[in-house]
Amino acid sequence: MHWLYLAIAVAFETTVAIAAGKAEGFKNRKWTAITLLSGAAATFFLSKALLTFEVGVGYALWTSVAGVGITVIGALFFAQRLNLNKLIGIALVIGGVVGLQLSGSA
Amino acid sequence: MSNAARSSANAWLMLLLAGVFEIGYALAVGGSEGFTRLTWSLVAVVFFLLTLYALSLALRTIDVSVGYAVWAGIGAVGAAVFGPLFFDETLTVTKGVWLAVIIVGVIWLKLADRTKPAEAQAGTPEAGRLTDRPGTVTV
Repeated sequence: MHWLYLAIAVAFETTVAIAAGKAEGFKNRKWTAITLLSGAAATFFLSKALLTFEVGVGYALWTSVAGVGITVIGALFFAQRLNLNKLIGIALVIGGVVGLQLSGSA
Repeated sequence: MSNAARSSANAWLMLLLAGVFEIGYALAVGGSEGFTRLTWSLVAVVFFLLTLYALSLALRTIDVSVGYAVWAGIGAVGAAVFGPLFFDETLTVTKGVWLAVIIVGVIWLKLADRTKPAEAQAGTPEAGRLTDRPGTVTV
């Protein structure tokens, strides 16, 4: 069950980022509502998952899968340009977050 | 500075601010102990609104993949640095190394971020050269 909670939390976190990009600084009401509701849902399901997952491991999985998902979705559906430099930077940051969270639980 | 450059600089400032609010959110959620403590819970809600508002402003200019990584990265760095001040946590050397990796990655992304070259550099003589540089792929 905790894997399902984590998967749902990742889906909502991905939605938060995409929706926040479309909310235009909260000027677009529909996307603002989706941003806030997804954010609340992501927090809720992550906290559910973290009851079972070790916190560092759960966080690491959550951020990394969401980060990769957002990058893929941004490129496929929102025509955002990726280049090698951006991919290296994203990999450094997300890899760093994963390393940080895993070393916290050690 | 051109308008496009100024807009990009403002967006990055807003993204850093969103990251700072995200730190506040992460710490407040931790302090709320599963939203059972009222004061911390209210603080968490305020930071939640602030961080998403600032992120939304920043993402008007910055690509969502870059924006999300930086936002989450700053949040993680801040939570690791400030966590020991508030909670029973320690900042180890290993954690410090990973913090450095994240910070390098954030700076790297700032330098790599030439947002939407078609719009930002349209009309300048350099437009073609910047857009067609090696490594750029459109998916």
